[in-house]
Amino acid sequence: MRLISSSFEGRRRRTGLVLVAPALLVLLGVLAYPIAASLLLGFQDATIAGGGVTSEWVGLANYERMLGDPTFGIALRNSLYFTFVEVIAVIVISLAVALLLNQPSGRNGFFLVVLLVPWALAPVANAVLWKWIYNANYGILNTILLQLGVIDQKVIWLGDPFLALNMMLVADAWKAIPFITLLLLAGLQNVPSFLYRAARVDGAGAWARFRHVTLPGLRIPILVAIVLQSIWALKVFDLVFVLTKGGPMDGTVVLNFLAWRVTFNFLDLGYGAAIANVLFVIMFVLALIYVRTLDPERRRKRAGNA
Amino acid sequence: MTPRRIYTPGGFSRRSFLKRSGAAAAGLTAAGMLPAWATALGQDETVLRALVPAAPDPTPPGVPGATYSQATNDAFAAWQAANKVKVGYEDVPWPQLHDKMAANFASGVHTHDVVYMSGWVPEFADFLLPFVDDLPAGLVADLPPSSFSTVTWDGQKMGVVFTLSLLTTFYNQAMFDAEGITAPPKDWAELLGIAEQLTKDGKYGWVLNYGETAGIGGVATYWFVFLQQAGGRLYDENGQPDFNNEAGVDSLQMMMDLMKFTDPGSITYVGINDATNVFTNGSAAMMLNWPFMWVPANGPDSPIAGQVGAAVNPAGPAGTASIDGTDAYTITRTSADPELARKLIEFYLDPAVQKSQSIDTGWLPIRLSVLNDPEVQEKSANAKVVLEQAQHPYDSYVTPDFTEVTVAISTEIQKALAGQQDAATTIANMSEQVSAIVARRA
Repeated sequence: MRLISSSFEGRRRRTGLVLVAPALLVLLGVLAYPIAASLLLGFQDATIAGGGVTSEWVGLANYERMLGDPTFGIALRNSLYFTFVEVIAVIVISLAVALLLNQPSGRNGFFLVVLLVPWALAPVANAVLWKWIYNANYGILNTILLQLGVIDQKVIWLGDPFLALNMMLVADAWKAIPFITLLLLAGLQNVPSFLYRAARVDGAGAWARFRHVTLPGLRIPILVAIVLQSIWALKVFDLVFVLTKGGPMDGTVVLNFLAWRVTFNFLDLGYGAAIANVLFVIMFVLALIYVRTLDPERRRKRAGNA
Repeated sequence: MTPRRIYTPGGFSRRSFLKRSGAAAAGLTAAGMLPAWATALGQDETVLRALVPAAPDPTPPGVPGATYSQATNDAFAAWQAANKVKVGYEDVPWPQLHDKMAANFASGVHTHDVVYMSGWVPEFADFLLPFVDDLPAGLVADLPPSSFSTVTWDGQKMGVVFTLSLLTTFYNQAMFDAEGITAPPKDWAELLGIAEQLTKDGKYGWVLNYGETAGIGGVATYWFVFLQQAGGRLYDENGQPDFNNEAGVDSLQMMMDLMKFTDPGSITYVGINDATNVFTNGSAAMMLNWPFMWVPANGPDSPIAGQVGAAVNPAGPAGTASIDGTDAYTITRTSADPELARKLIEFYLDPAVQKSQSIDTGWLPIRLSVLNDPEVQEKSANAKVVLEQAQHPYDSYVTPDFTEVTVAISTEIQKALAGQQDAATTIANMSEQVSAIVARRA
């Protein structure tokens, strides 16, 4: 009996493997191969010459060069700052919006549609939109602030490196908030209402209910949001390309943009790949955290322990 | 009970559809016929593939959106018929051209026969075919000899510039008149004086796109203009940086002095269009600009139509100077029919096409005979100015690492323009960085 079962299981597995093989092959071709090629390229001095790509194995030289490259240092610092601040800003604002939308008066479908508009915009369209908003001469931001008396002369929003980085952050956060809001809203709607009723019976006020019922209930959605938003913020490119081209003074150069610039502008493929690989490793670690967070087995264990 | 079955004529079912589609795709792939352009074109015609910028950047006849006259389009159709060839264009927005051709060349696969270049000839010289010696002598004699400097690498001429595109000074005549200024600035002192006089009431004397760092049209190349006006040069005879000197510092100091009267948004404008918008809206009185902007600046949609003047750039200690836009056509080494590709370029340089290029699209011709054509000069009143500017230095200093060099220089210049470091320090930093890039190249 066991033999039959084992044989059946074996056939079932083989059939399954055959059925998923085409998808696996596609994934290997479009994901695994480029990743492996990029990792290998990072160890080479590769450029475009002589009728194609010419390369020479240089070991860790590209990574050593990174350590002494001030632009890489700026890009890494900018990427980390951008990611850290954006994750906090997006999650705090999204949570606030999700709480509002979770109120009976906020459950109107209209609000959800309006909320989704920034998310639905193509990234480049979003960047062009913000480019005009920030325009030093004709931008609506200066016009509004001047009319409100908040500023007394036009501000060059993208003219100072640090200010430009923060303005870029605002533009990116505006686009990211809708999705994170929906994620948190879904989480909020999964918090059992009897917990709120019980808390009220126990005399908990609004803040206490938020702190001891809502936040613990949103632990997993918030963790997922942190990981996803970190990945998205780290790989920002469109905004930099359209708004500032990394300027002024390299003030808005981030890792993804630098990898592109070194690869496609400078045709230094090996060094560009090495920069991209650093970014890949960071994002891979974040993706692992994401997968582990959503692992049903672990979630069941956590729930059991609780 | 009989199973329900959908009747499909000829036994056509989902399964058979998938089978047939798979077989067809495999067949097409095997025949190398899957690319859309290959199936779209007739199989009995020779096909020439050309990579060019999308309109309104300089496009040849036959590109969608190009504003050539019907006569020129007819001539292009007749040329294709006479040569039994179909010219297939891939026109992409100008900012994407470099990346596109880099990816194409890196693939090692033939993608285009004719490729537009803008300062990238040295960078991609390994992929290009020297063909200028095979051009008709009469054609070459009608081109400014200096136009070949940016398309020559290792002594080989790899391309032909098709438009005389030098930076000259555009100015707003109405703003000049309002202040009683009777002539455009002739030298740096006059430029500073006029810019100062016109900087008031939210308007500025000068505007440029100092936000762009890479390549032709980046802030580094604007500095090249001032550098040559100061009598300096970027490289010495051995290809080493040669600007850490008085001319280098003076030229940068001039740009820094001009910043006081420059639209402060200039540091954020990444494209020439951004700066031109400020100029055409009457918010800035002067700027360096390319000849092709003459027509739109005077066009029906321009608020300052009829008020735009063009002048030779103000002279520095060594005289006036400019840079070259270096818009050129080249032929790839992988082209199966380089002779036909060369004939196509000859067609683009035909006097009638050159005239149409100037009159219909606003891009000045490169042929001297056409530049001197009264009709061309009437339509583009700046043609004379550009011709005069061409009598003076206009080196763009293109090298295989031109983009990296310009980004390094531009980033340092931006610091100087923002007041973060003085001219001498900036020039020293630039020299050090360019030396490192040149050393890596070697």
